[in-house]
Amino acid sequence: MNKLLPTIGIEVHCELKTTNKVFSNSLNVYGEIANTNINEIDFGYPGTLPTLNKDVIDVGIKTALLLNCKINKSMYFDRKNYFYPDNPKNYQITQKSTPIGYDGFVEIDLGDKLKKIYIEEMHIEEDTCKSIHENGKTLLDFNRAGVPLIEIVTKPVIDNDNEAVLYVEKLREILLYGGISDVKIEEGSLRCDVNISLRREDCNVLGTKVEIKNIGSISAIKEAILFEIERQEKLINNNVDVVAETRKFDESIRETVSMRLKETNNDYRYFPEPDIPKLLIEDSYIEEIKKTLPILPSELRIKYKELGINDITINALISNMELNKYLLDLISMGTNAIIGANIITGDLLAYLNKNGISIKDTNITIDNLKCLVDKLESNEISSKIGKIILSNMFESSDSVDLIMEKNDLKLISDENELLNIIKPMINDEIKIEYSKNNEKTIKYLIGEIMKVTKGKANPVVVNDLLSKELSK
Amino acid sequence: MEVLLVLGGIIMTNYLDLSLIEINNKLKNREIKPIDLVMECFSKIENNEDLNCFITLNKEEAIKKALELENKEVDNILFAIPIAIKDNIITKGLKTTCGSNMLNNFIPTYDAYVINKINNCNMIVIGKTNMDEFAMGSSNQTSYFGCVLNAWNKSKVSGGSSGGSAVSVSSRIVPFALGSDTGGSIRQPSAFNGIVGLKPTYGRVSRYGLVSFASSLDQIGPMSRNVLENSMLLNCIVGKDNNDLTSCEKDIEDFSRLIGEDIKGIKIAIPNFYVNDNINNDIKANFNNVVNMLKNKGVIVDYVDIDYIEYSVPLYQIIALAEASSNLARFDGIRYGYCTDKKINNADELYKYNRGEGFGEEVKRRIMIGSYVLSGDNVQEYYYKALSIRKIISDGFSNLFKEYDYIIGPTTTTLPYNIGEGQNDAVKSFFDDLLTIPVNMAGLPAMSLPIGINNNLPIGMQIICNKFEEAKIYKLASFIEKELNLNLDPRGDLNE
Repeated sequence: MNKLLPTIGIEVHCELKTTNKVFSNSLNVYGEIANTNINEIDFGYPGTLPTLNKDVIDVGIKTALLLNCKINKSMYFDRKNYFYPDNPKNYQITQKSTPIGYDGFVEIDLGDKLKKIYIEEMHIEEDTCKSIHENGKTLLDFNRAGVPLIEIVTKPVIDNDNEAVLYVEKLREILLYGGISDVKIEEGSLRCDVNISLRREDCNVLGTKVEIKNIGSISAIKEAILFEIERQEKLINNNVDVVAETRKFDESIRETVSMRLKETNNDYRYFPEPDIPKLLIEDSYIEEIKKTLPILPSELRIKYKELGINDITINALISNMELNKYLLDLISMGTNAIIGANIITGDLLAYLNKNGISIKDTNITIDNLKCLVDKLESNEISSKIGKIILSNMFESSDSVDLIMEKNDLKLISDENELLNIIKPMINDEIKIEYSKNNEKTIKYLIGEIMKVTKGKANPVVVNDLLSKELSK
Repeated sequence: MEVLLVLGGIIMTNYLDLSLIEINNKLKNREIKPIDLVMECFSKIENNEDLNCFITLNKEEAIKKALELENKEVDNILFAIPIAIKDNIITKGLKTTCGSNMLNNFIPTYDAYVINKINNCNMIVIGKTNMDEFAMGSSNQTSYFGCVLNAWNKSKVSGGSSGGSAVSVSSRIVPFALGSDTGGSIRQPSAFNGIVGLKPTYGRVSRYGLVSFASSLDQIGPMSRNVLENSMLLNCIVGKDNNDLTSCEKDIEDFSRLIGEDIKGIKIAIPNFYVNDNINNDIKANFNNVVNMLKNKGVIVDYVDIDYIEYSVPLYQIIALAEASSNLARFDGIRYGYCTDKKINNADELYKYNRGEGFGEEVKRRIMIGSYVLSGDNVQEYYYKALSIRKIISDGFSNLFKEYDYIIGPTTTTLPYNIGEGQNDAVKSFFDDLLTIPVNMAGLPAMSLPIGINNNLPIGMQIICNKFEEAKIYKLASFIEKELNLNLDPRGDLNE
């Protein structure tokens, strides 16, 4: 008997970060008191009609571009008809025939090679209510009803759990960096469904597909897939048919469990939404949106590498989008990238983590940060002084120069003052040492001078003076 | 003219029998007050209770509004004019039932766009009119609240679905009503009751707040005693509404502006389909009289064919009912509407009982047909095929309008029939709309205009124009109205 191979496809729903809902002007915010961000449209009230939030179309086009999709330039919405209490109109407005994007891909890094995970299509739709089941009752929160979603559907091209996780992580990174969504799985702003089937190695026909709905975390995706592969393997090896069904991953027992059979699923009776006219998207419109595309992590990695930043620092930067933005701003202002990256991922990040705050909660400005990096680069200050200045910058909105003045951190650059310190250190013994190894000797002397001056001696001037004095 | 009549000791005024312009002048001169008009309406409603044209009266609010208006300047022709509203148009704080048990206790929280419009003109809403349940029917016999009687002959149907609106105007309770027209629901009852009813161009009037039957066909329109007044109400209710993406941006125009212009030399097409053998001979005879009159006045008339127009009824059954099956899905009793007394064990039972008990038979029948034509492969077989033929019919009309100014024909195939007739015939009501449905398929504006009274039963004709050419309809309609000079008051001439 030959091996069983899994075939996996992933559907991701992500909530878009727009100000308003997609088909009404209610606010799109998370975590508010239940049923406060609603109007008669979200409530499926008789006589109401959908409007269309243009921001959602813009974000949709942006997402399509980021996922290398083609864009449907003539596009309409469809109604998906099914009865469920969380579905206020008992139909959902979605896109079936003309998804905004199709035929795209996301590239994942398998270590030894890159693999394209092909995107079948991505479409815009409205979210349903949130159902809360309590004591045999179901409560409905309509705040979520009408929140814009984009559903991204891969082709069945994922071979294993590892690729699945890499794909979802990569997709999250793109959606986050693209400003598309918060991609918070725990808040439900990113939701994952996995389709999985097994087939014999020598067989080209895919096996019976099982869908695992709404997996709650990336680690659970891996677990669910591994569990499901094992479960289906056992069935097939025991000559039991795999049933086409929808399952869920039960976090408490770490297993997938059956929810409902596919056979009993609804016939969704899709048809074009008559309340929203067809949209025609012009090429020039797409071009405008192209201009707003951010640099994605994969491109950033290449760029940072070229600038000489090391891998650990790059990873630290990419995993913190906010700090990364500061570095990009610094670089665009012509600041030294390596020094900037080191400060940001070093003392700055440590301070933020220690205090559990965001850079926005501090007094640090991009101009101040630039000034600090510039002074370090030109050796106007030592790295020790740099640390002291930075620690002051968190609390104070003073300029770097003012901080230096107030804290008596100005470097001693006066030659006479420095010579008074240097001259007593120079004797014949030192000069002999210098003739043997000048670099080591200068380093030693600078250390001594720094001790005396508490780090405030201008290293450039000191270096200059030492060379002169030692060559005398 | 004597405007005071004494009826059973109660002084009954008859200001509402005056023309709109006369009423307006009396209001301006302070000869009458808004409250006089409102009280007259309500006593007429009482005297005509048997007609059953209203489901809900707005008496308290109407009186309040009339008193408020007393001190206001009479700033427009519709000021303080009473109006009746079809009960599928959402009115804030005023029960809106759609003629259904499903919404028997439904009190909306917002006003439809058209209600805001008529409020801006300070019209006074008198009440909500009876209608076929969810506008599904053409004789007002599917209403949960019972039939509406024809004011010309109380054994006859009013037509529908805007039956209550039509009879409230024909019986002279109110000078105006708003109706809605998906396949003929304004024009057919207007013809049956001897009033003027216009279905505007699709997109001319916002549908926001009209409880949807078939979204791609529905349109709200004015119903009135005569042509000029009809145009005045249309002036008030049109406009682009950002809450309805299918409403159109158009320059403001006075729809009465072409009334009185010469019609000599205009070109009219009559589709052969509109004078086919299924049409009652009396109706055809009346219609032909009008055609001959027009020819005598120098109008050019040609008989033409429109491809596939004979398929309009089955197309309507597919498209309208498919959309309806989806539009009516929201009525599940969870957030509003009818809720069963039965004990419910799960969500499926909730839908089954709430919808099974809340909807009437005709509505359920149509939802089933609509669901069927969208199910599985049927959507290709029926729905998409219907859409493509609809497009051909629509193009057929457009092509005719390259050559002709108007398309005309009778409004109905029959005269108003007996109450109870055809109730068990699931297909009959669609054939009542044989001549009105093609207009909705093409999204065109069309009016039903009274052109004769036959055995005390009115007959109407349709005047159809190209999209957004309502003003042209009023021009021809007014000309015919003036030429025919019919007495369209079912009570006879009060001054005789």
